[in-house]
Amino acid sequence: MNEGKKSFADVEFGEDLPEFHPAIDMKSVKRFTDATGMSWSRFNDHEEAKKQGLPGAIVPGIMSQGILAAMVNNWAPGCTTLKIDTIFRASLLVDSTATCRGVVTDMVEDEGIVEVDLTISNEAGETRVMGTALIRLQDA
Amino acid sequence: MILDLHSHSIRSDDGRAKVENYCQWIRKRELPLDGFVLTEHRQWDAKSDYRKLEDETGLCILKGSEVETEYGHVLLFGVNDDLVAALDFSRLDLPLHEVVAAADRCGAIAVPCHPGRVTVGMCAHYGTLGPCEGVQVIETLNGGSRGTENEEAIALAEQYGYRGVGGSDAHIVSFIGRCATKFEREIRDIGDLVSELRGDAYEAVSFKE
Repeated sequence: MNEGKKSFADVEFGEDLPEFHPAIDMKSVKRFTDATGMSWSRFNDHEEAKKQGLPGAIVPGIMSQGILAAMVNNWAPGCTTLKIDTIFRASLLVDSTATCRGVVTDMVEDEGIVEVDLTISNEAGETRVMGTALIRLQDA
Repeated sequence: MILDLHSHSIRSDDGRAKVENYCQWIRKRELPLDGFVLTEHRQWDAKSDYRKLEDETGLCILKGSEVETEYGHVLLFGVNDDLVAALDFSRLDLPLHEVVAAADRCGAIAVPCHPGRVTVGMCAHYGTLGPCEGVQVIETLNGGSRGTENEEAIALAEQYGYRGVGGSDAHIVSFIGRCATKFEREIRDIGDLVSELRGDAYEAVSFKE
């Protein structure tokens, strides 16, 4: 029943989650905003976004949170995500090349809880979104 | 001796790191740090006592503060009762010249941080408000800087003859030590740090990958 799932004993402090590049091209972002009822020009149209003072169309914050949650769940399938806590440092632009990273930075053995630092950076290596995830892993 | 002069713990509203985890991370990743300074936003954390953690980890853990002025954010080192009485740390619009003067009068030192950052850094404000008298040291390397923000800070320091320090501005564990300050002499307490910052035997260093 627990086959393929990550247990607390499998995890080490300082362990890196597999890095990945999320799809944040215009087509993917439009699909997301259509599904969530957020089809607004600042997300779906670079030129209109610039008229609003933005550097271009931006990825919705909740899409970034969803991407980070997916990364955590890909790393630890079946885990219980207790919290995704994000700090938006700068806009993540649609059609940019983003890199998501995660690393284990706290482990509470008694409760089987692990904290993970999360970041999304752009092609210049600048952190645009950072945060933490609190997850509970099943017992070994 | 290398100290990260700018970090935040969960005591800051946007900090997500526990101090214990900073220490654990530094040791696990074998970072070239001898310690760090906690500079919580808009407050003086008088209560936290990290001496036991220092003994356990061998790291120097000092406390400062980060306050907000019309020129942007400013780190304070050597905060004491006199300085807490002189300044309202919670204000968002402290006059920088008053912060610098009060720090000097109370035996502390004020260091404007991330000067190249829009709105909360002093570079842009120098264009409209002019230079602030009394500033001697600024943060020329900030671990959270984007684009040319650090280059702008270095240029400002060169233009006005300011000395430069480095700090990670870490809000999450894994960002500690991205930038720091290398001192020629040993620093054992906050008094040593203030004394060294008033001299010139140090340099900002970056460990960003």
